[in-house]
Amino acid sequence: MPPKLSTQSSGNKPSLSVHTSPNTLNPTTSFSTKPSSSSATLSLSSSLQTLLKTYTTQTPPQLKFIDSFLLFLVLSGVIQFSYGVLITGFPFNAFLAGFSSTIGQFVLTASLRQQVNPENRLEFKEVGRERAFADFVFGSIVLHFFVYNFLG
Amino acid sequence: MRTRSSFISPLSWSFFTLLLASLATLAQSSKAGKSASSTGDSVLVIVEPTKQAEYSIFLHGLEKKGYAVTIRAPKADNPLLIEDGLPNFSHVVLLASDTKNFAQDISPQSLVQLLSLGTNLVLTLGLKQNMLTSLAPEFSLLLPPPATPLVSFFPERADSPSMIPIDVSRQSIPNDILSVFPSQVTGKVWFSGTAFALNSNPLLFPILHAPLESFAADLTDASGLVSDALADASEKGGEGLWAGSSLSVVAGFQTLVGGGTGHGADAGLGENDQARAVWVGGSSLFSDEFAKKQVVEKIQQERGMKVVENPSGNKQAALEIAGWAFQEKGVLRIDEVTHHKVNQTGLVEMYTTNDEIVYTTRISSFNPSTRKWEPYSGLKDLQLEFTMLDPHVRTALLPVKGKTGLFFSHFSSILSSSPPLLTGTYSTTFRAPDRHGVFKFVISYKRKGFTHLHHTLSVPVVPPRHDGYPRFLSAAWPYYAGAISTSIGFLIFCTIYVAGEAKEEKKSKKE
Repeated sequence: MPPKLSTQSSGNKPSLSVHTSPNTLNPTTSFSTKPSSSSATLSLSSSLQTLLKTYTTQTPPQLKFIDSFLLFLVLSGVIQFSYGVLITGFPFNAFLAGFSSTIGQFVLTASLRQQVNPENRLEFKEVGRERAFADFVFGSIVLHFFVYNFLG
Repeated sequence: MRTRSSFISPLSWSFFTLLLASLATLAQSSKAGKSASSTGDSVLVIVEPTKQAEYSIFLHGLEKKGYAVTIRAPKADNPLLIEDGLPNFSHVVLLASDTKNFAQDISPQSLVQLLSLGTNLVLTLGLKQNMLTSLAPEFSLLLPPPATPLVSFFPERADSPSMIPIDVSRQSIPNDILSVFPSQVTGKVWFSGTAFALNSNPLLFPILHAPLESFAADLTDASGLVSDALADASEKGGEGLWAGSSLSVVAGFQTLVGGGTGHGADAGLGENDQARAVWVGGSSLFSDEFAKKQVVEKIQQERGMKVVENPSGNKQAALEIAGWAFQEKGVLRIDEVTHHKVNQTGLVEMYTTNDEIVYTTRISSFNPSTRKWEPYSGLKDLQLEFTMLDPHVRTALLPVKGKTGLFFSHFSSILSSSPPLLTGTYSTTFRAPDRHGVFKFVISYKRKGFTHLHHTLSVPVVPPRHDGYPRFLSAAWPYYAGAISTSIGFLIFCTIYVAGEAKEEKKSKKE
């Protein structure tokens, strides 16, 4: 989802629509005051820099840790998928098991991240942090059970 | 013959079924008693009482071979051919070729029924039309017009041109056809009667061809007009002329039914139900007159021609022709069929796709001189098919040297004191196709002059079981590594996450 920037427009809110990381969406701080440079690439790179900066400064370390695990899962999934497409998808059950273990783990971890995010505290009122983690662990164990049954 | 009780006592129960099957075959072979035939001793000869004396040498020869010969006049009511649905005789010889009317139970239908009941027939054709000339086309014989005997003016001789000496040794026989006349038949065979052409029926094969120079012509016209018939025919380009060595004077017919071992439910009918019929162009081939008649031959020597009188080969040829018909030679039998996986023993209930299968069979042939079934390794072109609708595998089944069938070696060592037989085993190894379904092992051996061997045995071929496939292939290591790393990552993640939570809790408590 490319961040759609409208720096020309009047509003001092460059509407960054990054839904996956709602914590970075902090309208007051993420506003970088550089209305010059009409070139789009410059504005894009500057906004990316802003994104990175805000992420590093604003995100709690716990969520950063979750994100690093998510990144690992994405890389693992990409490697397995490209191996399957480029070299061999045989045996197909092993491919399905390996690839879906990364996807499933990604989904579970992403849900955990949503639920423990302080920004979403209002949305998940009844789900406590401990409850969210327990759900995550239970879901993962079930997932890995199926994955190893399907793998060999 | 061994007795039943001495069989059973030393045997374990597992051999019992095999034993029963072998008893069945023994019972069948016990039918072949005194005579040289593999199917029975009793012969019914249908001949006019007035002409019975003309065939005394042939009939005596049959009796000498151990046959019980019964004579019946064509119009006599007894003995019946078929009584209560069962044939009364093992073999029937119809020498009454010129008889117009037969008794009620001797009809083309009853003769065909006899064949289907396993009775062997020797049928002789006459020059006049009768029941047999109308039956002959049913056997794919093409008869020339009535009253046109085979005529040949070569070699030059004092006899009538319709009395022809046929050289047996000069007959060319393809390799896959049984040679009915062994080399012992010496001298020429006198023939007088009608020749016939053979349609392309796979069950029919020529035993004795007409000579190259012979042709069918009407001799009752004024003498010397035979050559006119030839001239007329040559004007038409040979059309309508029955001539040459493609005509036969003796032909054999082997019926299709039967085959199998008699073992199990799908073994088919017993091989004894296969019957043979021989068509002979003239009954005089069997007669005393021709058996005694000398063959005059002119042999070229340094000082001109020398006239030699040789005895004819009729006496022996007649017995050989009857011998083939009575299933003395070219009689084969499948004794046993086993199959198993390579490097395993014992029967298998089902095979998995791509299994290596060993198929073994034992084949016996009847030896008329010892009057016993003997293992036979002489088949060079036996084939095995592994079929499901179509043959998925068709492979040569070659004779194995110095080895008997798995079961039989065991079996024979228990049952008889004789050493294990060394021949008669045919075996092949092949890979089951990568197809699952109900397959059949099929042996279908049909050669002219030999008993047809037909045996089918169905086995299911199943795909591998869920744990029968290869596992943990090297090609899949990235996937295994991916799944394992996800799990390890999950564990590490949990520990660090829980540790972080604990720290935060401490912090918040301190505050």
